[in-house]
Amino acid sequence: MSRNIDIWFSITQFYSREARYLDDLEFDKWIGLMAPDLRYWMPIVSNRIGRGIGSELTERGHLAHFEDDFESMRNRVKRLATGRAWAETPPGRTNHMVSNVEVDGQEDGLTHVTSKFLIYRSHMETDQEVFSGTRKDVLRADEDTDWKIVDRTIILDHAVLTQKSLGIFF
Amino acid sequence: MEQGAHPHFDHLIDLTKGEINRSIFSDPAIYQQELKQIFARCWLFLGHETQLPEENDFFTAYMGEDPVIVTRHSGGQIGAFLNMCRHRGNRVCRADSGNQRMFTCPFHGWTFANNGNLKTVPGYKQVYHEKLDMESHGLVPVAQIDSYKGMIFATFDASAPSLEDYLGDMAWYLDMAVDRREGGIVFLPGTHKWRIKCNWKFPVDNFIGDSYHGPVSHGSAWESGFEGMPRRKKGYGYEGFQINAGNGHGFGARWAENEEQVYEMALPEFLAYEQDRFPETHARLGDLRGMHLSPMHASIFPNFSMLWQSGNMRVWHPRGVNETEGWSWCFVDKKADQDHRDMVRIHDLQRHGTSGTWEQDDVDNWVQSTLSSRGYVGRQFTQNLSMGMDHEIEDPTSIHPDMRGRVAGFQNEINQRQLYARWAHLMDGDAPVVQGATA
Repeated sequence: MSRNIDIWFSITQFYSREARYLDDLEFDKWIGLMAPDLRYWMPIVSNRIGRGIGSELTERGHLAHFEDDFESMRNRVKRLATGRAWAETPPGRTNHMVSNVEVDGQEDGLTHVTSKFLIYRSHMETDQEVFSGTRKDVLRADEDTDWKIVDRTIILDHAVLTQKSLGIFF
Repeated sequence: MEQGAHPHFDHLIDLTKGEINRSIFSDPAIYQQELKQIFARCWLFLGHETQLPEENDFFTAYMGEDPVIVTRHSGGQIGAFLNMCRHRGNRVCRADSGNQRMFTCPFHGWTFANNGNLKTVPGYKQVYHEKLDMESHGLVPVAQIDSYKGMIFATFDASAPSLEDYLGDMAWYLDMAVDRREGGIVFLPGTHKWRIKCNWKFPVDNFIGDSYHGPVSHGSAWESGFEGMPRRKKGYGYEGFQINAGNGHGFGARWAENEEQVYEMALPEFLAYEQDRFPETHARLGDLRGMHLSPMHASIFPNFSMLWQSGNMRVWHPRGVNETEGWSWCFVDKKADQDHRDMVRIHDLQRHGTSGTWEQDDVDNWVQSTLSSRGYVGRQFTQNLSMGMDHEIEDPTSIHPDMRGRVAGFQNEINQRQLYARWAHLMDGDAPVVQGATA
């Protein structure tokens, strides 16, 4: 029992630290939490009824909001540092809140975790955006950063994004 | 100019100076007139036939602000109908897509077949005493629906010209995207949908002819490894043409002298595929379309845009004078193998659409341009579209005998000028003929 609590505590601390890196615009530190074999994926959610219920999410091979690997995520971070990424110049002010952390299981050195997030973003003068959704992570224990994110699936609760773009990280 | 005070619109567009009045981006009365004169009259893009592979498949879409259902009937035919019950106007279909033969209104239960016919009305005998004319209360169909090589368009105007006439020369150029290989193209499943606080004309303007903004707007994406422009460095950005195909449609294309230059202009990850398909494309489309022109960006009037090599098509749905809903799809050649499909998909979504490293920076420009069109003083100053006005190419067939339309150099605002000329012409024109309408 105590071991499970240790893992849960370590992961919730890790998520808080990750959120702080993002909110403090420390994107280099954030990308340092990603494994080199990263898969970062955000399928598209759509409205379905009847027999379509259960197939609201696009699948692998379909269009997605994000389908990135370590290199492309690193390049997204690099883009923000150019000073000419106009959608984030000036940068948005965000608060990433992560909760309902559940450790789903561990196998082959990988830990599966489900969590919920709520992100508030304020940009420029009065732009306000709220993103909410679910993250399904696969983490690998790491000596330096406690954990590395190997695989992250982000399911937004939005079928039509009311946000002008997805210029932040989740 | 006072808002809402103009009976005519062509005076807002001055093609002799290349200037337009910026109230067209901010005046609510002009916006309402657009819904009527542009969106209820023009042929609007609904989607691709590959989104309806099976009988009874459907997806929902918009024509202007009017929601529609696009169905493949039991007989295989494709139709489009207002997504509106004829009783209280409730939306009869709440799904984005699916497979259904019937649509039942959640309000009182009127049920419509996917060919629009009203099939059942609860209490037809007991409360309507069999007096409701079922036949005239079906879902309102579009006036005309047609497809061009799988691309489905429809119009609510019964008096609109045929789709073929509407597209005109643009259809011939569109083949460079949709007919490069046997079998045409397919749309991958999944649609990006997002709201931008900009007037719908800014993105259309951007896609139809703005090759000028690339290095500034997209410098960050270019520099950080999200290449999106052809890689040929010699004469970068200035060798090519803006081609206006008439009716407000236009596109920009780089120019390749020979096969080698076609490959030099290919996006790096698509180079092997480009070389592989070149013989087929060249044979199908000929020298001008199959080799010399490497199209990049386009808009089809009023609100359809595309990026050729990136495999991206999109529609800009108007959502009020200050808001637009972008819908973006990824397309690939039907004959493309899985590796290439994957590459196009990843290229597209990392650069264009919701999280696109190119797209994000465009979006902010359009928002800021819309904002500056709202203030009283700002509105008194015209929008300048004069780039290259006296430098249109007098005889485009001197470039190549097959060249069609009006042509200018790659950095030239000819397409924007013609976009707003077409806009003014329609805004001043006859009202649409909406069949069956009694209001």
